[in-house]
Amino acid sequence: MIRLARRAFTLGGALGLLTGCGRGVPPGRTEATLWFTYGGRNREVLEELVGRFNTAQNDVWISAVFQGDYFEGLAKLRTSIAARATPTLSHVVGEVIPYLAEAGVLEPLDDYAHARELGIIESLGQTGSWVGGGDRPLVCLPFNRSTPIAYLNAPVFEARGLSAPTSWEQLREVARSLTERRGSDATRFGFGCPIDWWFWTALVGQAGGKVVEDDGRITLGDEAGVRALELWKAMVNDDRSMKPPPGRDYNAWEQTNQDFLAGRTAMIWTSTAFLKYLEENAPFRVRAAPLPQGRRRAVPTGGTHWVMLRHASREQREAGWKFLRFMHEPEQAIHWAVRTGYLPVTRGAIERLKREGHYDRHPNDRVAVEQLSVALPWPWSRELFRVQREIVQPRLESAIQGGRDAREVLREARALGARGRG
Amino acid sequence: MSPGLLPRRARDPLLLLAPTMVLLAVFFFYPLLSAAYTSLFDWDLLTEARYVGLENYRALHESGELSHAFSTTLRFSVVVVIGSMALGLGLALALNRTGAFAAFVRGAIFSAYVISWVSVALLWLWVLDADAGALTALVRGAGLTPRSWLGDPGLALYSLAMVTIWKIAGYSMVLFLAGLQDIPRALYEAAALDGAGRWSRFWNVTWPLLRPTTVFVATTSLIVSFQVFDVVRVMTQGGPVQSTTVFVYAIYEQVFMNLRVGRASALVVVFFGLLLVLTLLQLLAWRRREAAR
Repeated sequence: MIRLARRAFTLGGALGLLTGCGRGVPPGRTEATLWFTYGGRNREVLEELVGRFNTAQNDVWISAVFQGDYFEGLAKLRTSIAARATPTLSHVVGEVIPYLAEAGVLEPLDDYAHARELGIIESLGQTGSWVGGGDRPLVCLPFNRSTPIAYLNAPVFEARGLSAPTSWEQLREVARSLTERRGSDATRFGFGCPIDWWFWTALVGQAGGKVVEDDGRITLGDEAGVRALELWKAMVNDDRSMKPPPGRDYNAWEQTNQDFLAGRTAMIWTSTAFLKYLEENAPFRVRAAPLPQGRRRAVPTGGTHWVMLRHASREQREAGWKFLRFMHEPEQAIHWAVRTGYLPVTRGAIERLKREGHYDRHPNDRVAVEQLSVALPWPWSRELFRVQREIVQPRLESAIQGGRDAREVLREARALGARGRG
Repeated sequence: MSPGLLPRRARDPLLLLAPTMVLLAVFFFYPLLSAAYTSLFDWDLLTEARYVGLENYRALHESGELSHAFSTTLRFSVVVVIGSMALGLGLALALNRTGAFAAFVRGAIFSAYVISWVSVALLWLWVLDADAGALTALVRGAGLTPRSWLGDPGLALYSLAMVTIWKIAGYSMVLFLAGLQDIPRALYEAAALDGAGRWSRFWNVTWPLLRPTTVFVATTSLIVSFQVFDVVRVMTQGGPVQSTTVFVYAIYEQVFMNLRVGRASALVVVFFGLLLVLTLLQLLAWRRREAAR
């Protein structure tokens, strides 16, 4: 019956292809479909680059199709794989690359022209892990890559004569002093951050730990994990200077942005991806700053990597590769980065931006680039995605919003991680 | 049955039923059997499915997910059913009168039922915003401290229940209005002659005669509340701290977020069983009432 279920997906996929594709592909060109998973400004910039590619040559036509957020996009991608009706290209969060690669659905890219000579920045590609580590083939290339950074409401900070916190102690102190209350009701929080795995891994790194050890054991940072969670608990529950936004996943991220833009938080942590959006939409001057250090400085990298799907035809894959090459040329990598806030993923692009004085003119853009020197490596772990989604994320919430003990929830999470199930 | 009503050929009724049966088979029986079968596998849509027997059910039970989803859904349903019935009946009693104004108010209240769930959820997301929402402003205006309606684990489920009641109360109201208008005037007149006051007329005439409507409204709102998904997806995504992870959302999360098709299928089977029991109870209640007539 599972085969029958597959057939049902195939039929659905075929119907989708009949009804959805083949829109306006100029004759004589090979069409390659690209599924992408973000809206708003990032979507506009990507569609602009796709349009640029489509007019720059006469062989290939990239049809870019919006597929919802990262999670929805991934669900649709899996369905399309089961139906053998995949797009040629898509982009997925790094944590699922080992899972997809080991399921054998990703096209190895080594045999494509100059695949290993694109000048990828190691920390953004996660070279050695996601981008072809050890004897593994190259199955992905970095696309929209980011690190978390701090965003400050500059006038509020200046009025108090405060500067960006550089240590955990300062973070607590600054957040406390910027929190304003009317009675017991906070009218402005000093700090806001989604209660999310990504920011927690930043704190674990800063506390000197690793979520997954080099030998593959899932330790969730042991004591460092606890210290990370306790910092948030102290700021939310004791100091009441940090606002955990309602909603989960990207809804919480969006709420964090809205709180900052509306002046309900004086400082937030979120992805560098929102740099241009926040700069343009804030009715005040926005200043970006690196995350503070605990025992050391550390940030995770985030965002997505390009993947090519094996089920696409040979012609489509060749066509898709031409587009990937195009996107890694400095011109496009730079356009993408300076219009969105994501990081330029090739050395050529960053060097050119430095040479042309871009970072002197836009100091906010420099923050994430400089943080790359302390970027943490992600392991090649098939289980990481499940550990994140099923085991850690709900427990972070239960410690912060549900009042459970940090050490206890992480012990529970570690035990479940070791058993390999949620 | 008179001989004239008997089918000429034995297969005729089957032929007439065939289109419905085919639709039911394709869109109901097949997916259900498929889910029951898939629930015995560990499958992520990508790699080969692995037979695990009843492991998915055991894991759901042991992790407490099943009982959590069940109790969350049940609490939500109890509030929604009682709330929507009480509000629907109250509105029906208040608006059971002629005149353009009453008709306008009835129409306005019913309009919420026609709007899509997603629009309703987005609207209430704005109303319930903990900082800038209309309800928060109202509470602040009254000199009280507003709560985080959707951010407080102890409150979020009831906030969603309130939104659901707001949306479906118009439907209950219309059904109760129809029920009220079916009650013969003569009964009220007779009761009044016997000296019954308003309250006594309600308890001794209106309420007993509204019983069929009440059962129907209770059943439909129970089923609507059991199937709630859109408001959860849009407003809380099952959080905070899984306090709004109702059954259908748990199914969605297992298959689309956690990539566990087998476990989601196991939840589907259990959910189907629950709805089946509810429907059987309704049928029983219906038959008993029919027999009593």
